[in-house]
Amino acid sequence: MSLHRDVRHGLRIGRAEFVRSLRGYLGNTRRLVGLAIAVLFFGGSLLLSLPTAYLLGRTARSVTTIPFFEAGASAFPVVLVLVAMLRTLERIGSVEAEDLVLMTVHPRAVVLGLITAEIGRLALWFGLPIGALAVAFALGVGAPQLVLTGGLVALPLVCCAAVWGYASGLGALRLLRYLPVVRRVLKLGGILAMVGAVVASQFVGAYIIEADRWMRWLGSTATVDPLVGYVALAFAGTPLAQPVSIGSIAVLGVALALTPIGLAVATRQASTLWFTDAPTRTTSTQTPNSTGGFTAPQPLAWSNAGRIAWGVLVRARRHPQELSHLLTIVFFIGPIGTTVVQSSGDTIGVLVAGTGVGLGTVLAGATFGLNPLGDDRPQFPLLLLTTTSPRALVRGRLLAGAAVGLPVAVLAPVASVSLGTAVPRALAFAGVGVGTCLAAAMFALGIGAAYPVYEEREFWGTETVVPSTLVMIGYMFVVGGGTGLGLVVTWFAVTGNLVFTPVFLGGFGTYLLLTVGVSYGAYRYAIRRYRRYVFD
Amino acid sequence: MPSTDDDIAIRAAELRKSYQSEVAVERLSLAIPTGTVYGFLGPNGAGKTTTMRLLTGLTQPTSGSVRVRGVDVANRRALASHVGYLPETPPLYEEFSAREQLEYVADLRDVPLDTARDRIDEYLDRFGLTGDADKRIEAYSKGMRQKTAFIQSVLHDPDVLFLDEPTSGLDPRAARTIRGSITDFADRGTTVFLSTHILPVVDAIADEVGVLFDGRLVAEGTPTQVQDRAETGEGGSLEDAFLAVTSQHRTDAPDAEG
Repeated sequence: MSLHRDVRHGLRIGRAEFVRSLRGYLGNTRRLVGLAIAVLFFGGSLLLSLPTAYLLGRTARSVTTIPFFEAGASAFPVVLVLVAMLRTLERIGSVEAEDLVLMTVHPRAVVLGLITAEIGRLALWFGLPIGALAVAFALGVGAPQLVLTGGLVALPLVCCAAVWGYASGLGALRLLRYLPVVRRVLKLGGILAMVGAVVASQFVGAYIIEADRWMRWLGSTATVDPLVGYVALAFAGTPLAQPVSIGSIAVLGVALALTPIGLAVATRQASTLWFTDAPTRTTSTQTPNSTGGFTAPQPLAWSNAGRIAWGVLVRARRHPQELSHLLTIVFFIGPIGTTVVQSSGDTIGVLVAGTGVGLGTVLAGATFGLNPLGDDRPQFPLLLLTTTSPRALVRGRLLAGAAVGLPVAVLAPVASVSLGTAVPRALAFAGVGVGTCLAAAMFALGIGAAYPVYEEREFWGTETVVPSTLVMIGYMFVVGGGTGLGLVVTWFAVTGNLVFTPVFLGGFGTYLLLTVGVSYGAYRYAIRRYRRYVFD
Repeated sequence: MPSTDDDIAIRAAELRKSYQSEVAVERLSLAIPTGTVYGFLGPNGAGKTTTMRLLTGLTQPTSGSVRVRGVDVANRRALASHVGYLPETPPLYEEFSAREQLEYVADLRDVPLDTARDRIDEYLDRFGLTGDADKRIEAYSKGMRQKTAFIQSVLHDPDVLFLDEPTSGLDPRAARTIRGSITDFADRGTTVFLSTHILPVVDAIADEVGVLFDGRLVAEGTPTQVQDRAETGEGGSLEDAFLAVTSQHRTDAPDAEG
């Protein structure tokens, strides 16, 4: 009776949580535009993949000839558990409005609800592309029912992995509650792991294409035959059907038996996590103190804008989570980093100098400039009623960004001298870096002010106000492209290969005009937005 | 005449909650009779919210026990139908309208749909929310959110109602509506555990008052008894009594300045 009731409540919670997420995704025009761009971007790739999936189905003569089938089938439950665990750590380790929900229904219903909603969300994002590929493959095999049987075969594994992944995630959260230092280290480790994953992803493609031997090794050592046999049950009734093995039936039995046990374990973990407290809590004695008042160092102390910049830098130092949007840069810098690593001795110095200028330029604008109104809004009732001009507020952010970006853009070329770069070349790169940093810092403030984001959202495990993804991508393309062009011209100039033709002079003049004009226009626009800001 | 268990809506025995060496609640015992409006007072950081979370079973005590209407609060399945809780921050979903929120909670409370809709319409009307009932909560003012959260805490007609600062930030009309509702619930036999800093509200509607200081219950009784004990003199208010009692214990504390 109570199980039936908990399942009903769980499904109701799952539905409510899913609807809330859906309304969040479709909540405003900005998100819809972002969604449309994502669909266009990934939809194209999907459309190109469909014929491949169809051909794969057409040419498959047996299950074992499907590329990566055995390794994929063996890894499937492990990947599912890891995904469930990750999502638990990241998002569904607790329920929103928990005072209400936990006083209303049993924790088992909450566990079921959160898992159901998360499966719904993942199905929404990944179900359509996976389903489309599955349909194309099934049509290629000539057995459309493969989509249905595949779903039926996957269901017990998904349920089992979901509850055990959830239980493991909650267990990890309980452990981290007792180890706050480990939690911080893991967070940093997670970021480093992501950087590593991005860089490693540059090599994986080559391995997959070239290292057939490596894949054969993986296939032979990481294959779990009963699991492969079980997943192959999806092909029952198709030309690729295999005889049913005892092992595959055993896998089904184990998955069915482990699911309720996993649910019980998850419920126990949830009850302990949600109804008990961390052994310590933040008290006034544990809160860091700051003595000595607010004094900006030279030369920032010279001007009002400089002191504002110092305030921005101090706050960022004390609450670095607010800079979590900078992780996006990793995706852009990763491939360049790989090129640097793989480059020969002759070019490495120039690449380091150029990468430093590019990274510094991006940081100069992205660190504090991409959402100035959103970042400053909580303080606007104070800031806008002081005698400090909006110009000083904007310049403060500009200086703070430049204080982060300029050292990278200047010191990297200087350091590249030790890697063989000639001093004049290094100085030329550093000089270009100064210009691009200022231009990027001004440009960022303009596009950030044009598209402010005020709502806090969960971003890499931290609830914070982050710039719009569209603004970040737009900024990366404009600043990345502009800086790249500037660096190429600089390279040609310092190597004496620049030919001053009328076409070049016209093009370069336009480039300089655009860089200076657009940046200054963006800066002026940001000041105007600050000056005319009203709370609507 | 000593109370029997049937008469006691909230019984806490020797409750203690500590975080390593820091004690949040110390040896707190309560026996609140059914139908009482119990005003729970204390300065900021005294442990009021922790106590409410202990009494509702949302936090486990380090030691001691709590029973609400005879049910051990650790037995959440049995407890759920007996209690309603309005925390200081209204637990609402911004993506829902008030009507959706209330119907959702009613569903989780197993209130039959027809009954739920009747009650929701009645409460929305009573709190002046009917015209905004289909607007998303993200567009609501603080007062509208508080009223919606109050309605959801009483929708299932609980025996015991825990209210944490229910009138904080409300305009006088909304505050009066909630005060009136609390009195109505108490008249119908609901026990109300009311934590607030707004002492005139407690003065007006509380049958009993408890004052928490540094996690300890330092005064308890009817508002008049607490005022008498604090020796605030003729015409002294509950506010005077509160200040006197908490000042006395601040002075008594071993680490108090001076």
